[in-house]
Amino acid sequence: MLSYIIRRLLTMIPMLLVICFLIFVGMELMPTDPISYMVGPEQIANMTPEKLEEMREALGLNRPFIVRFFEWLGGIARGDFGYSLTNGQPIKDIIAAKLPATIELSLYALLISTVFGVFLGILSAVKRGSTTDSALTVLGMVGISIPEFFFGLVMILVFAINLKWLPIGGRTLPEYTSYWQQFRHVIMPATILGISMTAGVMRYSRSSMLDALNRDFLKTARAKGLPKWRIYILHGFRVALTPVVVLIGFRLPTLVGGSVVVEQIFQWPGIGDAFVTAVRGNNYPLVMMIALLTVTMMLAASLIVDVLTALIDPRVRLE
Amino acid sequence: MNQDIILEVKDLSVSFYTDNRKNNAIRNVSFVAQRGKTLCIVGESGCGKSVSASAILRLLPELSRIENGEIKYYGREEPINIEKVDPDGDLIREIRGGEIAMIFQDPMTALNPVYTVGYQISEMLLEHNKDMKKDEAMKKSVELLSAMGIPQADQRVNEYPHQFSGGMRQRAMIAMAMSCNPKILLADEPTTALDVTVQAQIFELMDNLKKDYDAAIVLITHDMGVVTELADNVSVMYMGYVVEDGTVDEVLRTPAHPYTKALLASIPILGRGRNQKIEPIRGSTPDPFNRPPGCQFEPRCDYATEKCREAMPEREFISGEHNVRCYCYKEVLKDE
Ligand SMILES: Nc1ncnc2c1ncn2[C@@H]1O[C@H](COP(=O)(O)OP(=O)(O)OP(=O)(O)O)[C@@H](O)[C@H]1O
Ligand SMILES: [Mg+2]
Repeated sequence: MLSYIIRRLLTMIPMLLVICFLIFVGMELMPTDPISYMVGPEQIANMTPEKLEEMREALGLNRPFIVRFFEWLGGIARGDFGYSLTNGQPIKDIIAAKLPATIELSLYALLISTVFGVFLGILSAVKRGSTTDSALTVLGMVGISIPEFFFGLVMILVFAINLKWLPIGGRTLPEYTSYWQQFRHVIMPATILGISMTAGVMRYSRSSMLDALNRDFLKTARAKGLPKWRIYILHGFRVALTPVVVLIGFRLPTLVGGSVVVEQIFQWPGIGDAFVTAVRGNNYPLVMMIALLTVTMMLAASLIVDVLTALIDPRVRLE
Repeated sequence: MNQDIILEVKDLSVSFYTDNRKNNAIRNVSFVAQRGKTLCIVGESGCGKSVSASAILRLLPELSRIENGEIKYYGREEPINIEKVDPDGDLIREIRGGEIAMIFQDPMTALNPVYTVGYQISEMLLEHNKDMKKDEAMKKSVELLSAMGIPQADQRVNEYPHQFSGGMRQRAMIAMAMSCNPKILLADEPTTALDVTVQAQIFELMDNLKKDYDAAIVLITHDMGVVTELADNVSVMYMGYVVEDGTVDEVLRTPAHPYTKALLASIPILGRGRNQKIEPIRGSTPDPFNRPPGCQFEPRCDYATEKCREAMPEREFISGEHNVRCYCYKEVLKDE
């Protein structure tokens, strides 16, 4: 098992290199000149072309593409993620500041969607054809098709503006002394993000569970005289679990990538929010780093999923 | 009444309601199982053998209903009418596995792939023996597996079903089924998926169980050869009806139903040499949704008369337990 994990980690390195290269190429092809975002418009207007050229030189924007790529890569290897083009802040610091917020939000959303999605999915499968099942299917459809921003705005209107139970947005304030005060801020965004993910998990759990319920060994379990919970949970769900774990595992990248829409609506100071700002500002070193972070997490998630599947299904062997 | 009778199915009908159509899967089916005896239920695919067996344990799928009839179980002080029992209740759960055990056709899929064989046998033991401990159950599982002829059972008990061969899985299934000393063993084509030598071993095992534990065995098969070797009694089914029923001698030596006769003529019989005439039954089984109005076998029957087109014949007793559903059975018997 351990040697498998190490081998998988090693194969990730060339993959990451290719991805880094693609990201770099992609950003290179963006039409805007990044210099215009480093210097105010009036200043550019007043600058001589030579001065501008000097500036480019200083920022390393003039060297050949491939040189800049390896330069950038070497920096990453040394833990130097470069500097934000908008305000010169080290990207490491930006990410260190934004990541905890995103992880907090995504973790709650993942938790909500896993618990509710799996539970409702099983319920729906066990009671297939009943009104509960139809109601849940309709709710799931609604959850998937109604956009997050709509839900978000409705919730803000009801719980923040009318009822004044929860804050409109943000994450924390200087005067907070306990986590509970901060926790009130995460409730709405986590619920919104959770709902949209719950619907997917629910539909997936339902079909996976239905599949398990139709298998022959479930009839064996019934013929053994086992109680219902053993039949459904220990025999049915235990087998249905594998595909559900795969689905949830592949959601792990949201832990670091964040959700653009939800973070925007609730002014959540996370990675998703930072990403949008960076894209708008052609702050390409930051965009690249966030993309890289997400992709790395995706690769890690696929490894985690493989290891988990092998742990829960004895037929799967890690080769 | 015969003291040996442990299970009596009487006039049992089960229908399926799928796609808003009704399929009378079994109709007024009657048979009895006796202690220390093997009852073989034979018939072509789709004739209702599995449905009859599932009904006994109330394991019928949704969308199906027991329309009429009785399933009487005599294994306790008082007879139990299984057809009236709550299919989700505690009583049927005690009976399932504890008193009536079932093994299925395909040992490849009948065991749960994510649990060890030992876990699955212990699970059943623990369910029906409330004061048994986990390690005792595991020890018993090892004993059962080795009694079923599995070598190195103490190691194999910790393996998963996919590490077992098909024959070994079926042995494990039988070990599990016999773990709580059931009074009745329902075996639904237990060897169809296995090769011939393994088949013979499994049948030998079941024959021993019958003798050692005085269990009643209900063996479902479509193999007449198996019937000749193992059965004490035979029920022949066709399109949801038991068309002929009796002791193995009565039914095989003096078949009274044209279908039984045709079935026997369609298989080679060991010891009769290579010159025997083998005749497949002519025609094909009707669509269950578009049944003949009278006797179900009438379109394929050599003896069919006008009367046969009107209604399914009632059960008629020929001698002793031997009974048949045929208007013309006397002629069939005469033709022997
Ligand atoms: N789950 C089900 N849903 C709908 N109809 C069913 C179902 N199971 C069985 N039937 C119907 O009931 C009838 C009897 O089926 P059954 O499975 O008892 O046949 P069988 O004698 O066991 O055949 P085989 O030898 O192929 O196992 C058939 O007409 C079949 O179509
Ligand atoms: Mg069958």
